[in-house]
Amino acid sequence: MIVGEQKPLAEIKKTVAPYKKLLILGCGTCVKTCFAGGEDEVATLTSALRLTLKKDGKEIEIEELTIERQCEDEFIQEAAEAIARNDAVLSLACGAGVQDIARRFDKVPVLPGVNTTFIGVLEKQGLFTEECVGCGDCELATFGGICPIARCSKRLLNGPCGGSKDGKCEIDPDIDCAWQLIIDRLKTLGQLDNLRNYIPPKDWRSSNAGGPRKLVREDHII
Amino acid sequence: MNKNFKPKITLFHCINTFSDGASLPIAAEVDCELQSVKLPCSSMVKDVFLLRSFESGSDATVVFICPEGECRYVEGNIRAKKRVKRVKDLLDEIGLDGRRLSIFNISSGDEAAAVQNIQKAISDLADLGPNPAV
Repeated sequence: MIVGEQKPLAEIKKTVAPYKKLLILGCGTCVKTCFAGGEDEVATLTSALRLTLKKDGKEIEIEELTIERQCEDEFIQEAAEAIARNDAVLSLACGAGVQDIARRFDKVPVLPGVNTTFIGVLEKQGLFTEECVGCGDCELATFGGICPIARCSKRLLNGPCGGSKDGKCEIDPDIDCAWQLIIDRLKTLGQLDNLRNYIPPKDWRSSNAGGPRKLVREDHII
Repeated sequence: MNKNFKPKITLFHCINTFSDGASLPIAAEVDCELQSVKLPCSSMVKDVFLLRSFESGSDATVVFICPEGECRYVEGNIRAKKRVKRVKDLLDEIGLDGRRLSIFNISSGDEAAAVQNIQKAISDLADLGPNPAV
């Protein structure tokens, strides 16, 4: 899923200041799971904004709505009437959701309420970790399902740097050494020989270094 | 503190601490307006409920949880404590001051401790004054 965290209240307050009627629009998928932009977070932010503005002697009308996803048109349409009723939308979706709302409602300012941080997993309740950088050329089969690009601080593709200690990264001891994990996993799978193959320098053109990417599925386009 | 200031306190409590916080003798002992919200477990106290208590005019909000290790649902009180900490930080960001929100471990039926803790919340308001967002 896409992981994000809500922007600081002071930044949001400044962003919404010019508007009298605001729709806070939540997204019920990824950002809900990471407690950044689901229904509960919309309600909490609405209350917090009302309180801080009232304390300053200001008042704005805030409407709350959460749709299933802000990155798909069929769900976005459910917000159309609420968007039309307001001066601006504060979207608590990831960057893709914010832009999809903006694309479909070109006369309404759409403001981001969340900092989109990474593609990751819920490792345990309350702990989200980055697992994928979306490089566009997945090599997880070689590395036993552990990505050295996303999870090694040095993004090494040909073995460990030698700096890890007790399975922890020398850059940040809170992070597991990805190469320790890869070697342990390949041992378990009996696939340690995978590492005998030299991995050439990665071609980053398939990542966002190659410019904005597009996926075309002709079989789904009418 | 203004002598005419009669604080409004909202009390969220687990039904395992008191069956009904409204029956606490605090109102008779201290000049405050006490509104109590009973919950099946203190972990049910969501961030937004705490904030809305302030939107509803509360000057201070108090949460009573069961003592550590005595939660009927194992970790409800720990969750409530973490949530309260987060909302205290948010109240600082809002500009209301996190000290308006407090949390106490209370043994089941310990009215004397309950009254004492609510009195503490009231005395903290001497510095803070009324809720500025009302």
